[in-house]
Amino acid sequence: MVVNPREEQLRTEAIVDEERPFDPDTASGQPLRQTNLWSDAWRRYIRNRGALVAGAILVFVILYCLIWPFISPYDPNGVDFSLKNQTPSLRHPLGTDAFGRDLLTRTALGGRISIGIGFAATIVILLIGIAYGAIAGFVGGRVDNGLMRFLDALYGLPYLPFAIITLAILGNASFWTMVIALSVASWFTTARIVRGQIITLKENDYVRAAKAVGARWYRVLGRHLLPNTLGVLIIAIFLELPGVILGEAFLSFIGLGISPPDSSWGQMAEEGRRVYRVVPHVIVIPSIAIATLVLTANFVADGLRDALDPRTRET
Amino acid sequence: MALLEVNDLRTHFFTREGVVQAVDGVSFSLERGKTLGIVGESGCGKSVTALSIMGLIPRPPARIVSGSVVFEGRDLTTLREHDLEDVRGNEIAMIFQDPMTCLNPTLRIGTQITETIRRHKGVSKAEARKRAVELLDEVQIPNAAGRLDDYPHRYSGGMRQRVMIAMALSCNPKLLIADEPTTALDVTVQAQVLDLLEQLRQEYGMAMIIITHDMGVVAEAADDIVVMYAGQVVEQASVLELFDHPEHPYTEALLGALPQIEGEGIREGRLTAIPGRPPDLIRPPTACRFGPRCPYADDEDRCTKENPELRELRPGHLVRSAHPTSERSRADTRMAVP
Repeated sequence: MVVNPREEQLRTEAIVDEERPFDPDTASGQPLRQTNLWSDAWRRYIRNRGALVAGAILVFVILYCLIWPFISPYDPNGVDFSLKNQTPSLRHPLGTDAFGRDLLTRTALGGRISIGIGFAATIVILLIGIAYGAIAGFVGGRVDNGLMRFLDALYGLPYLPFAIITLAILGNASFWTMVIALSVASWFTTARIVRGQIITLKENDYVRAAKAVGARWYRVLGRHLLPNTLGVLIIAIFLELPGVILGEAFLSFIGLGISPPDSSWGQMAEEGRRVYRVVPHVIVIPSIAIATLVLTANFVADGLRDALDPRTRET
Repeated sequence: MALLEVNDLRTHFFTREGVVQAVDGVSFSLERGKTLGIVGESGCGKSVTALSIMGLIPRPPARIVSGSVVFEGRDLTTLREHDLEDVRGNEIAMIFQDPMTCLNPTLRIGTQITETIRRHKGVSKAEARKRAVELLDEVQIPNAAGRLDDYPHRYSGGMRQRVMIAMALSCNPKLLIADEPTTALDVTVQAQVLDLLEQLRQEYGMAMIIITHDMGVVAEAADDIVVMYAGQVVEQASVLELFDHPEHPYTEALLGALPQIEGEGIREGRLTAIPGRPPDLIRPPTACRFGPRCPYADDEDRCTKENPELRELRPGHLVRSAHPTSERSRADTRMAVP
């Protein structure tokens, strides 16, 4: 007989509850076991092996980027031509680059910028997308129609050329200009998702009930509608993140993004491109870093979707 | 002056298929502390009438085309949304049909009650919380203080409706509109909720409009009854008068569809059903709207050409029919009863 693990778990929990002694204070209908959305979601998330491993790797990579530069014995900008283009060794686990800088330290530093730009741009994308989508969905009617047709027109714009043009207009490529360039043409999907959610949610009876007790519109939107889109938004973060990080890497790789002495993974790959026939690891390492980040973010998004959306629960 | 006066209210829905005349010329008034029952079958405009009073009709597609809703001397239909929000929940509160969906699943019960109190009364968080516990106690939720921090999914349907009642009462409204408050509940819970509602209504001295299709509910709770059909008032009288001397064939039929277990003149055999269904409100009949289903309808002009006016048959007893019971000949009656 196939035993469903979830069912078995429920059964065990039920038995435990039955064995509790009868207590008139709690017998008045007070709940015996408290559980909430997040602990529930966490339970479902950790049952997904792939997502769990991916999440662990993602956290590890982020911690490595944040902490390693502080512990590393090497100066990430310390040029030493006697050590240039070394292959991985015990002293330099990832080898050195053309200027003799330790790649383990450089990769952490580049990761800070890559991941930093990734998260910052994702947050900007979310803010614009939420504001735009929420207004369109909440107001509805002609406003909605106008805003969404405008969005359809923007949708036709290719993302990378748009980012390149923005960079050209803004001039130099610093952290924040990169964030703007990467978010300016990529918030469309988020706006659509939020609008769709708001339109579905605002038909709920509790929204009418909130209006019936005199709630102001910003209260209805901020308290009753947006919090209910949170699950979808968390997923959107991890869906946007890889795209943005790839975009940053691409721009830096073709020389439009972060420029030396600052580095990002894309810029490091570009430096590696010049020497890859001699020492391939200089391009391979940042490429692996980018691929890891993109892949794990996708897995995490997948796991979160299953964990946060009750409709996709497998059992 | 009456607390609420609804005059010739017309709420229409402007849809692709045409204009749905959901509420078409409804008038009634309600005194302080009294209870008005609005009855009629599904799709007769009962709920839209209530939502029009609250200013909660979905716009678009709906719009109040004409008429007025005068509450304490102010016409609510001309009020700005911003001012209307101060009235809602504070002076007029509403309870909806389905308590399962009327509470936000992501907010704690306590948050939802205190929000309403704080919105209108501007009291501190602690005070609002104290009041919320009192309210939950009043609506007989056991262990009120402990259950304030629960999420709605831990409450049963009956308990959620009690919470809705608590929220509605939280600001001492002068008028409570209950839109089919017991339809979604178990029969055993229905009676409890109705008793509670009536008890609290008296305690708070509120006026109440209770909307239902259950004649049994209004018989107990209401002082006056308005019977609606196809967006119009077809009969209006005090509860005793209406139950003792129903005049409109539709009211008669509604009462005939009700099981009777005791009393004089008890009917035996099967309950009667009303054949057919309410007319399409995009193209309502220009003649009597109940005509096609009326057992007494005849081919004379008064039934097939014009819609009869609402007329006062006896003091306080209005009826819209060419064949009120008291004016019917024996021949008609014999024809109608199978």
